[in-house]
Amino acid sequence: MKRLMIALASATALLASSAMAQEKIKIGAAPYGLNAEFMQIWSAALQEHPAVKSGEVELTVFDGRYDALVQQDQFKTMVTQQYNAIIFAPIDVDAGAAAVQTAADAGIPVVGSNTRVNSDLLTSYVGSDDTISGYMEAKTVLDKIGCKGNVVILEGPVGQSAQISRLEGNKKALAECPDVKILEDQTANWSRAEAQTLMENWLTAHPNQINGVIGQNDEMALGAIEAIKAAGLDVKSFAIAGIDGITDALHAVKAGEMTSILQDARAQAQGALDLAIFAAKKGDYKPQSDIWATYKDMPWNDGKEKIYNVPWTPVTAENVDQLLATRK
Amino acid sequence: MSVSDNRNASGWLGSEQRRLLIQEYGIFLAFLILAAVLSVSNEFFLTAGNISNVLLQTSINGVLAIGMTFVILTRGIDLSVGSVVALAGIVSASFVTSSATAGISGAPYPVALGLGIGLLVGIACGAVSGVIVSRFSVPAFVATLGMLSAARGLTLIYGGGRPVPALTPAFRWIGTGNVLGIPAPVVVLAVVFAVSWWILNRTRFGRYIYAVGGNPHAARTSGINVTRIQFVVYVISGGLAGLAGMLLSARTGSALPQAGIAYELDAIAAVVIGGTSLSGGIGRVTGTLIGALIIGVMNNGLDLMGIQSYYQQVLKGALIVGAVMLDQKRNYGA
Repeated sequence: MKRLMIALASATALLASSAMAQEKIKIGAAPYGLNAEFMQIWSAALQEHPAVKSGEVELTVFDGRYDALVQQDQFKTMVTQQYNAIIFAPIDVDAGAAAVQTAADAGIPVVGSNTRVNSDLLTSYVGSDDTISGYMEAKTVLDKIGCKGNVVILEGPVGQSAQISRLEGNKKALAECPDVKILEDQTANWSRAEAQTLMENWLTAHPNQINGVIGQNDEMALGAIEAIKAAGLDVKSFAIAGIDGITDALHAVKAGEMTSILQDARAQAQGALDLAIFAAKKGDYKPQSDIWATYKDMPWNDGKEKIYNVPWTPVTAENVDQLLATRK
Repeated sequence: MSVSDNRNASGWLGSEQRRLLIQEYGIFLAFLILAAVLSVSNEFFLTAGNISNVLLQTSINGVLAIGMTFVILTRGIDLSVGSVVALAGIVSASFVTSSATAGISGAPYPVALGLGIGLLVGIACGAVSGVIVSRFSVPAFVATLGMLSAARGLTLIYGGGRPVPALTPAFRWIGTGNVLGIPAPVVVLAVVFAVSWWILNRTRFGRYIYAVGGNPHAARTSGINVTRIQFVVYVISGGLAGLAGMLLSARTGSALPQAGIAYELDAIAAVVIGGTSLSGGIGRVTGTLIGALIIGVMNNGLDLMGIQSYYQQVLKGALIVGAVMLDQKRNYGA
């Protein structure tokens, strides 16, 4: 009991001292949901940002739980608690606009990150163009099969912005290889288990005909690999690609089973945080993250750009070990 | 009214008998018709490789649906199985991963330990639901809805929301191995089915389950420990969900925190299509197995024909409702 009292007392003291340090900037991050690896890397990167570590910024992450309404309510909370800026990764392009409006009405700057929102009220946006990744992954598959043969496409949930853009990119690359036939093209909802079942059935329906697998994310590409292995076929005789650079996929790249394209969650998160601090301090701020030095193609430009496009990084045998070392 | 009373002069079977036959064996007929249609319309459907695929793809839902049958026979429902799949999958995986970071210290441990832990996790979840339903008389829908949410949360807490990859080949064998050419998960399903059939049809406990579901008050009056029966069926369902979770992670090679979402719906669908009554007391585990096979065959067949998965969902919906309409007719007279 006594120990509890002491703990309570020191907790109160801590709270009081943080309230006293009035200069701290309060920034809220609102990711659409924290269940998957990508957004976890994203949130962890925010916590590791130099400004957060030094205590200059007080950061709170709100789990949107994949629900547009939950995210809207979180925006209301942040408005009431007078946050200085908000980093927003909305679950839905259109539903997110109302949340941005709420913050804008209260004069709080909102910086978009990772997912897009249909709103011109965003201060700026840091993300990666999915059309490009869709093109890049399809291209690696087509290059490997020599621009001829048959491919299958495993799509994300139809209608989600990443699925739409990645498919657009896929189709653009496929248009450059008119001899390549798309044997099958279905959604596996980003899910490894669903993709595995689909691929098992496709291998049955098209025996010895599938040369390439274009998975719109790594999970589905990995599911296809499992199906190929289960059918007793040689994974390396297929050209398989995914997107995102999740840890399991990095291992598969290392084993020579697939290619992946890394979406840099860390750069999207830390870039957005630099821009959020910049907006909160009304321009009196120099970016602290090392990502600006890493990506020469994405200059800081005094924080003036509306859109910052984080380049995609193909995962190769050369850089895979280095990438794996960053995953703990 | 006995069957022989209805034998009339007009033919080999009376209309009443024909009706009974369709109701009792309708599900087998439906399955055979579906399989026949698919065999004719796709050259690959009836190949050994594809049959093996269908059975493999049915195995996880089949195991879940058999557990669900026990629960539904007692007028209950278990909505938590999908979340228990994920929890048991990820906890057991943390014991049998060779990843240095994702596992618990000292991993990988022997497969038997991983399997035991996974089963225990499932049984524990089922036991909690079972106590809440049987002792505290909380409606099963509510108790297991709570477990659905809690088990998913525990999954995310346990794994920090991250997948547990790199499961040992020995553990993966239960998902990818073969026994005399038959995929291991299919063998697991066959064993689960055989044991369940025996329990429900040949043991006193099985008869009690039907009695409790048919009329709990009468069952209590005749000396059956209704509370205990109601408790045990959730333990069975939980344990089988744990087993299914391990089959899934062994099959995909990695235990994912998002695994098993909405699996309870397919399991309930298989039970209902298989002719088990949601009002309890009536149903067969054989029907459930056929129900699960119908779902598996339908998905497989439509994939083979290159038909969008959206149609699969519409067909499944129609099948579920159709099966219950048949059930209503059986229960409340023709």
